[in-house]
Amino acid sequence: MGNENNHFSDRELIAKILGGNTQAFAVVVKDTEKLVTQIVRKMTTNADDQKDLVQNIYLKAYQNLSSFQLKSKLSTWIGNIAYNTTVNYLQKQKIPILELDTKLETKFALTENPESEAIRAETLEIIQAEIDKLPPLYKTLITLYHLEELPNKEIAAITNLPEGTIKSYLARARKILKDNIRYF
Amino acid sequence: MKNEHLTEETLQAFLLKETQEDGIATHLLACENCRARFENYQHLVAEIQKIAPETFSFDVTTVVMDKIVSYERKESSKQELILWGVLILLLLVILGFSLPFVPQIFSIFSAMPLFSNFLLFGTSIFVLVFLIADIYKAHKIEEKKIFGNNLQPTIHLPVQ
Ligand SMILES: [Zn+2]
Repeated sequence: MGNENNHFSDRELIAKILGGNTQAFAVVVKDTEKLVTQIVRKMTTNADDQKDLVQNIYLKAYQNLSSFQLKSKLSTWIGNIAYNTTVNYLQKQKIPILELDTKLETKFALTENPESEAIRAETLEIIQAEIDKLPPLYKTLITLYHLEELPNKEIAAITNLPEGTIKSYLARARKILKDNIRYF
Repeated sequence: MKNEHLTEETLQAFLLKETQEDGIATHLLACENCRARFENYQHLVAEIQKIAPETFSFDVTTVVMDKIVSYERKESSKQELILWGVLILLLLVILGFSLPFVPQIFSIFSAMPLFSNFLLFGTSIFVLVFLIADIYKAHKIEEKKIFGNNLQPTIHLPVQ
C-alpha cells in the first residue's frame, strides 16, 4: 500500500512546520484543499461564510498540528476538522444537515421530452440539481464516495459516523436520486 | 425466495462490487424489472462521476496563508510584549537589590588607574555590540523563515 509512503511524508512535513517553517503549511493546504472545498461547498451555500469557514478550518489545523497523532492520513484529519467546523456552523445557522425536503419525493419527469439527444446533454445538469436538493450530509457523502472515491473507512473518520450508517445513508441518497431521475 | 425482486440495497451493493453473490447476476439476467432498476443505478453512478469538482471564487492557498501569517504575526508580537515585560521586571528587581552596593562598586573603579578603566569599558562595549548584532542576525533569519514568501510552497525538485 502507498499509505506508508504518505505517512512518512506527512510526518516530515509536520516536523518542518512545527520547527517554525510556516511556509511548509502551504504544501498541506495545496494537498488537501480539494477535499476541504468539496466538504464546505456541499454543506453550505453562502459564499461569504465559505471563505471564513475555509480560513478557520486551516487555522484550527495549524494551531492543533502538534496534537495530530499520525494515526490517520493528514488529509483525513483535516477533512474531519473541515466537517466538524462546517457542521458547527450549520448548527449555529439552525440549518438541519439531514432533514429531507418533502419536494424530494416528487419525481423529475423526463419522459415527457421526445428528443433523447437533448435529454442526454441535460442529464448531468439534472443530476447535479437533484444532488443539490439533497440534505447537506447526503450531498457530502455522495461526493466523498463517488467523486473523491474515498473508502467507507476514511469517510467514517471524516464524518465521525459509523460505517454502517454511512452505507445506509448512501443507499438512501442513491435511491432518491435514482427515483427522481428517470432514464430509458 | 426465487420470485422476490432484488432490494435497492442489493442492487447498489452489486453495482459497487460490495457483494459478488452468484444469485444476483442470475436474477438480473432473468428479471427485466430488476435489470431496469440496476441499469438506472449504473447510469446514475456513471453520471455522478462525471460531475466536475467544486471550486471557490478565491484561491484557497492564498486566502489561508494570509490568515496563518497574520495569526503568526499576532502571536509573535504577543510573545515579544511578554518578553519585554519580563525583561523590564527583571531589570527593576536587579536594580532594587544592587542599589545599596552602588557606592562600593564605584569605589573599585575610582581606585583603579584611568587606563585600566578605559580598557575595561572598551572591551565591555565591544562584546555587547557583538552580541546584539548576532542576536539581530538570528532574529532576521527566523523572521524570513516565518513570514517570507509564504504563497509559493517550497517544492524540492530532484536535480537532473
Ligand atoms: Zn426481479
